Amino acid sequence: MQYRSIKKEEWDQFLGELINTHIVYANVADEFGEDYELLRSGHISNIAYNKPKPATSLKSFFLPVRENVTSEISTGRKRVIIGAPNCDIEGLSILDEIYLDKDFEDPFYRTRRENTLLISSDCFGTQEHCHCLSYGIRPYSLSKSDLAVICMDGTIIFRVISAKGEEFLNMMPGAGLLNDTNIIKAIEDKQKETESILTEANKGLPDYSRTGKIVAEAKQDIWEKYSARCVSCGACATICPTCTCFLLIDKPGFEKVKQLDACQYPGFERTAGGEDSLHKLHDRFRNRYMCKYVWKPQKFNSIACTGCGRCIEACIGKINKNELFREFA
Amino acid sequence: MGNNNNIYKPIRAKLTNVIEESALIKTFCLTPEQDFEFKTGQFIEVSVDGIGEAPFTPSSSPLVKEKLEVTVMKTGYVTEYMHNLKPGALMGIRGPFGRGYPVDKFHDKEVLILGGGCGFAPIRSLLYNLIAISDKLRKVTLCYGSKTPEDCIYKPYISVLRQTPKFEVHRSVDKASGDWSERVGVVTILLDDVKVDIKNSVAVVCGPPVMMKFGTRKLLEMGYPEHDIYLSMEKNMSCGLGKCGHCMMGKYFVCKDGPVFTYDEIKDQPNIWD
Repeated sequence: MQYRSIKKEEWDQFLGELINTHIVYANVADEFGEDYELLRSGHISNIAYNKPKPATSLKSFFLPVRENVTSEISTGRKRVIIGAPNCDIEGLSILDEIYLDKDFEDPFYRTRRENTLLISSDCFGTQEHCHCLSYGIRPYSLSKSDLAVICMDGTIIFRVISAKGEEFLNMMPGAGLLNDTNIIKAIEDKQKETESILTEANKGLPDYSRTGKIVAEAKQDIWEKYSARCVSCGACATICPTCTCFLLIDKPGFEKVKQLDACQYPGFERTAGGEDSLHKLHDRFRNRYMCKYVWKPQKFNSIACTGCGRCIEACIGKINKNELFREFA
Repeated sequence: MGNNNNIYKPIRAKLTNVIEESALIKTFCLTPEQDFEFKTGQFIEVSVDGIGEAPFTPSSSPLVKEKLEVTVMKTGYVTEYMHNLKPGALMGIRGPFGRGYPVDKFHDKEVLILGGGCGFAPIRSLLYNLIAISDKLRKVTLCYGSKTPEDCIYKPYISVLRQTPKFEVHRSVDKASGDWSERVGVVTILLDDVKVDIKNSVAVVCGPPVMMKFGTRKLLEMGYPEHDIYLSMEKNMSCGLGKCGHCMMGKYFVCKDGPVFTYDEIKDQPNIWD
């Protein structure tokens, strides 16, 4: 895979100009941690490189919490997102399956996908609940993003992944080919180190090929036990990079507003006639697991969990899905 | 999908007539602003401006493109508003969505139809279609049940069907009144009255979930193979596009993979009857 590099000062200068012509978001560190910020010149020095996931998942850039879907579609300025971890990049595959479905393509999603350049970030190190490797997802992107960015010793290094990414780099005269095998080896060593940390930290978690069976075979008492502290707040689904359900709300003039929804909310499946197969809390709780580990794999051949661990962090009931999987591993 | 490429945007349809079928059920006759084609058993999303949108399978003939009808029971928020609409009102429609009845597979067969309550709506559309191809069918038997004689819908159409060669109608009510002379009891008792050549027959079931459940059970007992029982499933089909997730039934999005399924396709999925 081709690598290119540029001095960090030059890259920062380039970003300072890029924000005038593009909408640029980057994973920025502040006293609260790391999250995506609309990049302004004052933020450029705070961009967090090589860091594990930002607090928000990448899906929010493609599926806004709320949008009018009967309005005109505007492409606007091109968008660049810097610092997406590979768990989120892989999560886009499920979103693509649903929103770029050839029968009913979502024109808003399509426009945003096409209008966005994705610069992923290699994760050097992990956060407490990171477990991407348990789902066969590496902590660095080799596909599906356009570029991967790594910062090492005052140098910004790009792994070139797509033609769109290469085209972007061509805008930067200073980004030359990187042929120093020592640097490339140093990157690979860091990648392996992160994988070792993930393997060690997630000992006892079942292999992703077994999660579906565990979930499908779990009896009602298991769901009652693990849902006991669930308050149906929907934070797990909202923060999840692959949860995509929504509600359509009607507005005067036959306008429709699409708003992110969650199967954890009471009434999610209720029909006008009153039938509601997810009336009970433990059934809604189970539904999310079944959807992610059993039904989505049956439908799209892919587990709808990337091991980002955000649902564990977001849960105010401190429900840890990995405890459930460890119990049955 | 109409003349726009936006899957969420409805086209306008003018409400031209409202037919009162029973105390709770009305048929809404709509003229879309452009020709609108659907296959029988497919559904559409009908919106009341600014209020909400709900899924209905048209009850009219799929062979008519310039107008369509939906038969709606007053049962929730949107349908209550619909029932208050007067001719002349503008409504929105999106669709058609999903997989309807595979009418081609019914050729050279007997079709046994079991319907209950407002489940007659999709069935009437199917019957229009079957009448048009009746030369290719052996026989069509309709077994229809409702709560009381007053709740029986499409009364004039029943008379037409009874005079149509190859078509047979059996009706039951849970509770008889007045001069009701047909069967009394749950709709499945009608299956005891019909003579069908099961090997050369398919069954279609549409109605409230509990009726679908017991109807399917009875058809299986009669010897119908699971792949010859067609069920029109009812879930919270909100977007119609296989996206919003509200109608998930196991691995299926009922709106896109259904709403018509054979029993063998869905028998292992969760909560099919509720």
